[in-house]
Amino acid sequence: MKHFYKTLAALAVAATTATPALAQDITTLLKDADRYRTSAENLQVDTQVTVYNTDGSQDKERRYTVFAQSDRKSLVLMQSPVEKGQKVLMLADDFWLLMPNTQRPMRITPMQKLLGDASTGDIATMNWAGDYTGTVVGEEPCASPNNDNNNNKATCLHLSLQANRKGVTYQRIELWIGKTRHEPVRADLFVQSDKLAKQARFVMDKPTNPTTVSEMVLVDQLSNKKETRIKYLARKERTVPAEWLNPMFLARNPSLE
Amino acid sequence: MSTFLLRRPIPNLLCSPYRSTAPRIGPGLHRSLRKLTMLSALVGVGTLSTVALAYSAEVSGQVRGAWVDRQVADAGPLAQANQLQAGSATVEPSAATVQAELRASGNAGPFTLHAVATVQARRPQGGTTVSDGRLNEAYASGKALGWQWSAGKKVVSWDVGYGFRPNDMVQQEVRRALASEALTGNPMLMAEHFDADTAWSLVWVNPLEAQAETQPRSGNNEAALAARVYRRAGAVDWHSFARQGEHTGTSVGVAASWVASDAIELHASVRAYQHVNSMRSTNTGTGLSATNPWQATRSGPGQQLLVGGSWTHESQIGLMVEAWHDDTALSDAQWSHWTARNQALPLWLNRRIPASAVAGNLAWQGNAFGASSNLRQDNVFVRLSWQHERWQTALDVLYHPADQGRITTASVQWGGDRIKLEAGFRTYDGPQSAIARQLPVQRQGYGVCTWAF
Repeated sequence: MKHFYKTLAALAVAATTATPALAQDITTLLKDADRYRTSAENLQVDTQVTVYNTDGSQDKERRYTVFAQSDRKSLVLMQSPVEKGQKVLMLADDFWLLMPNTQRPMRITPMQKLLGDASTGDIATMNWAGDYTGTVVGEEPCASPNNDNNNNKATCLHLSLQANRKGVTYQRIELWIGKTRHEPVRADLFVQSDKLAKQARFVMDKPTNPTTVSEMVLVDQLSNKKETRIKYLARKERTVPAEWLNPMFLARNPSLE
Repeated sequence: MSTFLLRRPIPNLLCSPYRSTAPRIGPGLHRSLRKLTMLSALVGVGTLSTVALAYSAEVSGQVRGAWVDRQVADAGPLAQANQLQAGSATVEPSAATVQAELRASGNAGPFTLHAVATVQARRPQGGTTVSDGRLNEAYASGKALGWQWSAGKKVVSWDVGYGFRPNDMVQQEVRRALASEALTGNPMLMAEHFDADTAWSLVWVNPLEAQAETQPRSGNNEAALAARVYRRAGAVDWHSFARQGEHTGTSVGVAASWVASDAIELHASVRAYQHVNSMRSTNTGTGLSATNPWQATRSGPGQQLLVGGSWTHESQIGLMVEAWHDDTALSDAQWSHWTARNQALPLWLNRRIPASAVAGNLAWQGNAFGASSNLRQDNVFVRLSWQHERWQTALDVLYHPADQGRITTASVQWGGDRIKLEAGFRTYDGPQSAIARQLPVQRQGYGVCTWAF
């Protein structure tokens, strides 16, 4: 028994004297990582989503305007000709869709939110700190073991994240962030059934001194292996009127109101 | 050769065969009005496009080409009428249509202007090309005194159902159309107030009809005041509705939509009405009528009720099930009388009654199909859909428990960056006695190509 307590004490000491990063609060790390995608609490973000086939040819391109607001509220306006007028409103775990030919806001489930050309969760969700809790797994190479061409020899912190609410697109995320600046580097995204849905890679504006994520590259792992590039064309701080976040307001034209 | 005109089109069978060709005005005036409508549509959109462009606002639209193929039935009262005397009953033929739809929105001072117009050319099989146009929407909106105001022609869609919407009190949209196209709004004045979780909507629809010295208007043409209060309570959306129609009186309703889990959504809607404008036959026996016995009437009171739900799997397979009851539809007893009359009318030929008279009476029986937005009072609707990358497929069945009639629709859609292709097929099945089997067209196929800009 004495040996057991000695071992326990040694483990406790080891834990408290481990690398400073491992001891850091997971929420702080996630907030640091979030800052590379959200420069302010209330934002208007214009994004371009381009999907590439496995042979590298372009499959399709879509444009979105996202009003990402505090308290996990987002309004997504589809801007591409084929989707023009379509809108998705996300208020924490509650979602609504407006199709342009109906003018009738429709309540949808989290699963229905995944339908469509691009998961609106990929476009509009920018707040890991508010949506996930988890642990620091440890220090690991930033390069993905599956990516033979990746020459990134840097060391990352591996965070294992679990959703703390039901409405998020991905229930589990394995996230690798820079050891020093905590910028997001790559992530494995798992859906409700714990299947690996997508692998993400984050492209920073300045690789040596990153300040913001300029592009997110997602590779589908469930079916087609297609690559989706989400490019952040413009970000600006913007707080929208509260009424824009009322589901029934979707039938109006918020970009002109 | 006379054609026995139907009194009303059949809204529940859009893209279905049976459309009234019953204008109440002369052909010359009809053509003039059509040209005027098209001209106003073009001028309206042209003006608004110019305004929108001048104010760097939004202009978008689409061009679509469609072909609807209809296979005419060889049974049922209309088929019988045409067999007795060709051309007795008008059945909408297969047709090709090309439509151009333009949307323009822009700000002009404190107002937002919005317009949608459609011009189209339609060529029925064996006929000549007809061009016309319509202004789907044209309204101005703005904010004053804490309320949002809109005035003009506008689409306002309410309620929570998919296959049927009892509380769609303003738009009264035709559901389960074969291929969707831009809705056409109603003239209205509208006031709305929004806060974080509540929305109030007050609508005076068709205000100019209130003083018009015309016959009572039906459906969404009637002057009416309508109100909706929306309240979000966590995972549940609550809607309450009220409507005061000039001729149909009061109706009230309530609806809810509840996201029960990540994959399941449940919804329900119920409406009680004082009156409804409908069609009823003054001759439910077996005797011949000299004039169309189907007359516009005001019936009620009654109720409409819908319950339903949807389930979506992460593989993007979706299943929707709905059931509804509609008192505005003809009752089982009324359909029984109707069926008995259909069987009895041809017997008059044995009594040396002219075939044209019997054919006319059979053709008039077709008015029953347009008496309500639902053929039967009790309906079950099941829709299975699957989405995979650019492809969407769906299979749905509308089932009538009263006579085991079925209306089955299969569709497939492919969406590109600007081009959308749609194709589908609808068939009317069930026992020979089922009302769905009496419809004048039993199979329809369609293909639509849309280019968006």
